[in-house]
Amino acid sequence: MTGSQPTGVPRGAGLRLPRPRFRPRELGLLAIVATVLAVGSASLAATRALRGEADPAASAGFLADGSGLLSFIGGLLAAHVLLVLSGRRTDQVLLPTVGMLGGISLLLMERLPQSLAGGLGLGRTQLVWLLASVALVGVIGAVVRSDAWLRLYKYSWAAVGVGILLVTFVFGHDVNGQRLTLSVGPVSGQPSELIKILLVVFLAGYLSENRPLLIEESSRVGPLRLPPIPYLAPMIAMWAIALSIVVVQKDLGAALLFFAVFLLLLYIATARVSFVVIGIMALLLGGAFLYQLLPHVRVRVDIWLDPFATASGNGYQVVQALHAFARGGLLGTGLGGGLPTIGGVLPIPALHTDFPFAALGEELGLVGILGILGLYLVVIERGLRIAASAADDFRAILAAGLSLVIGVQAFIIAAGNLKLIPLTGITLPFISYGGSSLLASGVIVGLLIALSDRGRDLPAVAESGPGRVQRMPEHGAR
Amino acid sequence: MTRPDGGRGGTARGSAPRTGPRHPGIGATVGRVALALALAFGGLAAGAGYWQVIRSADLSSSPDDAAVIAASRRVARGDITDRDGVRLAWSVLDSNGEPYRKYSSRSISGVIGYASRAFGSAGLERSYDAQLTGVAAADPVQDLVRKFRTEPSDPQAIRTTLAAELQQAAVAALGSDRGAVVMLDPRTGEVLVLASTPIFDASAIADPQTSTATFAALQADADLPLLPRATQGRYVPGSVFKIVTAIAALGSGAVTAATTFPEQPGAEKAGLLVGGYRVRDGHHPATGSTALDLIGATEVSCNIWYALAGLQTGGDALASWAAKLGFGEPIPFDIRTATSQVTNGGGTFGGGFSDAVELANASYGQAETVVTPLQMALVASTIANNGILMRPHLVQAFIGKAGTVSVNPEVWRRVLPADLAGEIAAAMKQAVEGRLGRQFTTGARVSGMTVAGKSGTAELGGTGEPNSWFIGFAPADDPQIAIAVIVEQGGRGAERAAPIAGKLLAVWRSWAGR
Repeated sequence: MTGSQPTGVPRGAGLRLPRPRFRPRELGLLAIVATVLAVGSASLAATRALRGEADPAASAGFLADGSGLLSFIGGLLAAHVLLVLSGRRTDQVLLPTVGMLGGISLLLMERLPQSLAGGLGLGRTQLVWLLASVALVGVIGAVVRSDAWLRLYKYSWAAVGVGILLVTFVFGHDVNGQRLTLSVGPVSGQPSELIKILLVVFLAGYLSENRPLLIEESSRVGPLRLPPIPYLAPMIAMWAIALSIVVVQKDLGAALLFFAVFLLLLYIATARVSFVVIGIMALLLGGAFLYQLLPHVRVRVDIWLDPFATASGNGYQVVQALHAFARGGLLGTGLGGGLPTIGGVLPIPALHTDFPFAALGEELGLVGILGILGLYLVVIERGLRIAASAADDFRAILAAGLSLVIGVQAFIIAAGNLKLIPLTGITLPFISYGGSSLLASGVIVGLLIALSDRGRDLPAVAESGPGRVQRMPEHGAR
Repeated sequence: MTRPDGGRGGTARGSAPRTGPRHPGIGATVGRVALALALAFGGLAAGAGYWQVIRSADLSSSPDDAAVIAASRRVARGDITDRDGVRLAWSVLDSNGEPYRKYSSRSISGVIGYASRAFGSAGLERSYDAQLTGVAAADPVQDLVRKFRTEPSDPQAIRTTLAAELQQAAVAALGSDRGAVVMLDPRTGEVLVLASTPIFDASAIADPQTSTATFAALQADADLPLLPRATQGRYVPGSVFKIVTAIAALGSGAVTAATTFPEQPGAEKAGLLVGGYRVRDGHHPATGSTALDLIGATEVSCNIWYALAGLQTGGDALASWAAKLGFGEPIPFDIRTATSQVTNGGGTFGGGFSDAVELANASYGQAETVVTPLQMALVASTIANNGILMRPHLVQAFIGKAGTVSVNPEVWRRVLPADLAGEIAAAMKQAVEGRLGRQFTTGARVSGMTVAGKSGTAELGGTGEPNSWFIGFAPADDPQIAIAVIVEQGGRGAERAAPIAGKLLAVWRSWAGR
């Protein structure tokens, strides 16, 4: 999905290999992750063996011989070795954390009916994408040293993003009423996964460049302090893009994600709460308008308000998910012990893409849910820490934006599963089934690791390309 | 190049970014965003806690739960028995080895319901689907450690509070009429009889061979045999509602047992004028010019005295005292119940009544007043138990491999002080045993035992026969059984419901004296 190979090999690096730098913390954490996942795999196999006899129908299609998990742990170790060989002083917590999330995903996908995905089957397909995702983490984390290729071409990246969006609007095909999927020849994917990264890259470039202006100048409209009028344009554009995604793609989740990340980055860059308030008001206004206008928005909101009113109709999926959480209780049913099938059909439709959080809530219980939320918080904390100690504003906003994409996306879908907000069909990063999502998450975490480089050979920003030093606001945009 | 104010960003100017010439570090805002996200994730944890702990038990044992449905298809459900262990429902295996249900008698159809592979479940079978299939353990601690057991389901047997013999007698007494009988022990809230007619053949619904045809025929039946009338039938109560009015009037202090209304005797002939509408009586020329008190008015079922008492009590007090008895919301019970009401609500006269006319009419059980038989049995039970309403229940114990969990009697509401309840009890006794009362409750008396009660004749409008009602309890001086009988369009209370009650109380006496 990323057509562009990293081009940021520093000049003059030549073929000289860096000296390996051992990463004991990462290795130790990976050992813990491998142990926990092995226990999970054993528990799944045991449940299957014990209950399989009592209810053969429920265990049909199980896939848990341990080989998938071994390959995945092998992939994690390979990424670790790659990072060691790169010799960089980069973050050692992110890889084990997302490795844990990916391992949980693998166990879940191996445990579900394999027929949910064609070809290799659910578990094996997910394994392939997980390995590719971990490979992206390792390679990007090891190789990408300069950010010039992102920083200098922010408008080009933005144009690519908008272009992809428009192409999807026109040529995308509808799956379950949502126009999310784009096919090019044999390859198909969900472009919004790529667009969210491009969005963050553009915002990092734009906000870091215009930060001083956005902070200091403002135009007054009545009691409101608005950003300077020329700088309002990107805000309005973002708002329009988010709403058009809702209208054309019927993808509430992506629209919410894009707009939330945009507002948070705007706040991070300017520290001005008024922008966030205005943004939220614009979102609510647009949302209220779309609620009146679009039936699919209305249905989602009505389901959210009272899913039990239509428990066997529109609200079925959400109600079944809430039942799954309830069945899990405090300790869960154990992997393989929950998700009762009726006539071989899972209780929750689209469980592997939209409701893995509910499935894990049932099988791992509240304890497991808290653990998974904790893992996402670790990713967010590491990412924002990288942002706070970044060398300059671009890197800071970029790192913050990338970690916010993961964190906000996880929040949106988890909150939707728990009926805290209306349900939107976006993926749970590193856990939901799906190639596009896993690859995008891999790129994000790879970039975060690369951005965390605090080694002595930190590439100086000014040397990294032909661009200007960005701290010259009076020159305006490039 | 580094930023001018360093990477950590927490500078003093961070809090006032617009005043300083320099810009605060990004670290400060990143920190606040991190805090916001941590709070948001805390919200997720709270949400998960709500569904997984607070709502866990009721959702996961609901008959709509996927695990319950899945288990009910493959697990042999536990037996259901009456209070003496007589089997009412049990499971047998079909030729494929899959279980289905059999029932001992049609008389229990309205309370036990049915469990069918094709048509789901109803009644007690539905409420305790999770326990009968063993998806939920009766003991929550067992639920917690269930994941560590090999066979996670422990189908439980249910011992109900029902008395099969009395249930049978009640259905027989109702005969071919549509109606319901509720009998419960006022001291414990144990329900002994919950009969609804017409009855149906639950075994035929459960049997895979006959279920489709049976169910289709029952659904098409205009007499609505699938409606459990005792708990979900909603009827105009007529004069049996006067006991509710008495409870509100005495309980609120608006009226005492000795209160008389001077205008009452004079109004007997032409009717009492309330807001342009005449409350009529005409049932008791025998009382002549005597101004009646509570006992006298109850004995002869005086509409005018009760209308005046209701007006004196006020709509607010009548509605709130009725609510104490269970009106206004479904009664919490082992099977689903319908809501009883004193008024449609929305009116401005107080308590939701629209005007004095509606309140006066509701005070003797007409207007928009609608009740379930179970609700009226609870009204009688409250008076019988010295003003204390026990929580009605239908299950004595859940019996599983992991142990037995018993259901203990508990006080639901303390409605009235004992002395006021005693005054109303005396009036109800007079209504059955008194010289004039007998004429209104013919047949309710049982030889060798004093009975207290109240009959009702609920006018339905139009030309049809009224609903025939009786509520009461016995023995009057040491109440051990409360009863409510309704016969749809059975005529006056004394014609149909009161004799059934008398007959069933006699059966109860010999049953209790075993």
